Amino acid sequence: MLQNLQDRFYLNFIADDRWKYLVNGLKTTLTVTFFAVLIGILLGFLVAVVRSTCEKTGKLKILNAVCKLYLTVVRGTPVVVQLLIIYFVIFGSVKIDKTFVAILAFGLNSGAYVAEIIRGGIMSIDNGQFEAGRSLGLNYVQTMIYIIFPQVFKNVLPALGNEFIVLLKETSVAGYIALEDLTKGGDIIRSRTYDAFMPLLAVAAIYLIMVLVFSKLLGALERRLRNNERR
Amino acid sequence: MNGDKILIKIENLQKSFGSLEVLRGVTTEIRQGEVVAIIGPSGCGKSTFLRSLNLLEEPTGGTITFEGVDITDKKVNVDRMRQKIGMVFQQFNLFPHMTIRKNIMLAPVKLKLMTEEEASRRADELLERIGLPDKADQYPNMLSGGQKQRVAIARALAMNPDVMLFDEPTSALDPEMVGEVLDLMRELAKSGMTMIIVTHEMGFAKEVATRVLFIDEGNIKEENTPEEFFAHPKNPRLKDFLSKVLV
Repeated sequence: MLQNLQDRFYLNFIADDRWKYLVNGLKTTLTVTFFAVLIGILLGFLVAVVRSTCEKTGKLKILNAVCKLYLTVVRGTPVVVQLLIIYFVIFGSVKIDKTFVAILAFGLNSGAYVAEIIRGGIMSIDNGQFEAGRSLGLNYVQTMIYIIFPQVFKNVLPALGNEFIVLLKETSVAGYIALEDLTKGGDIIRSRTYDAFMPLLAVAAIYLIMVLVFSKLLGALERRLRNNERR
Repeated sequence: MNGDKILIKIENLQKSFGSLEVLRGVTTEIRQGEVVAIIGPSGCGKSTFLRSLNLLEEPTGGTITFEGVDITDKKVNVDRMRQKIGMVFQQFNLFPHMTIRKNIMLAPVKLKLMTEEEASRRADELLERIGLPDKADQYPNMLSGGQKQRVAIARALAMNPDVMLFDEPTSALDPEMVGEVLDLMRELAKSGMTMIIVTHEMGFAKEVATRVLFIDEGNIKEENTPEEFFAHPKNPRLKDFLSKVLV
């Protein structure tokens, strides 16, 4: 029994340096997630600012309409379909790096969800905070930067963290465009060794560990921010 | 006690929310050094009137001239003008993510009117004046309601405003904390600050105000010195109102 497991471990991970599939896949997954998160935050933040500025002041109506369209499309279609469309339709006729396509697709997708999280955060801040800032002579942008956003950031951090955990796991569908991410790496091993148990369990364990570590970091950050208020 | 200089001139001020007319052509003047109390039944437009003076509510008609400048003109820099008009809110609206000191320092520093050191020193002076020198490095949620409102007053004073607007400053306070805020406002009035106060504190209005306005149905129905105003009200609605609020 034990000998059997050892043999399978050897076959799946050691023989022919198959562990490299997992390590390289992990690198790809982390790269895609990292840059997609950056795009997601940036895009989501911009969209949220446009949307809430329009709701508060009635300005930026056209930009707001564009943002709404973006949100509707992205949230109304599956991320796999978006990924396929970007790869086979938009970049169908050009040779392009798959990692880049994945970053773009997941970044664009995440941006929509981040936008709604941040917009909710902005709208949840009492309007009195806004009025207090303006009544002191700060302009709209200064009020946003010094008074509204710091409070928004603290309030939306748990929801944002959740969004990034979802994103990290969602990148596992990148195999649809044959990008060799972590999931694909495990799947390649499976197709070579005809053993599903070992590689897939290893893949699952790696995702789980990443999520646990990320949750821990996030929890620590949240606690730090909260401590600031009641010392 | 009031100089002759007109600080704010309000002419035919109107404000509608959709089809609801809240202010129907208010006209009055605020002179330097005056302490004007505004009273009236709820929903009469007194808060809207006050909030129009620094354009937190945008008037739909009429003009407001502040220190000789028509601030309802779209070309006027509203932010610059607001630096000279302090405002204190019913709900305090302190910034919960900043210490008391930072609350007071924020506007003068960010608007480049003072350096960090100057603003910090100013904050210490103001905290001394409002009797809370030991709270500088605490956060707003550690303070009582009365303390919060005193800090809010200090925050507005940090900008060295020419006039202070108070929007029901004691209405959200527990009864035992009303006194400390009124004491501070009384002291402020004595120092010569021009103040416009929307309030339900009739005793305070009677004692501190130099003029009392009664607003009802979107307009000033009566204005007078506090002695005359409370002793010999003429407007029937005011008589009715006073008979309900005064015990």
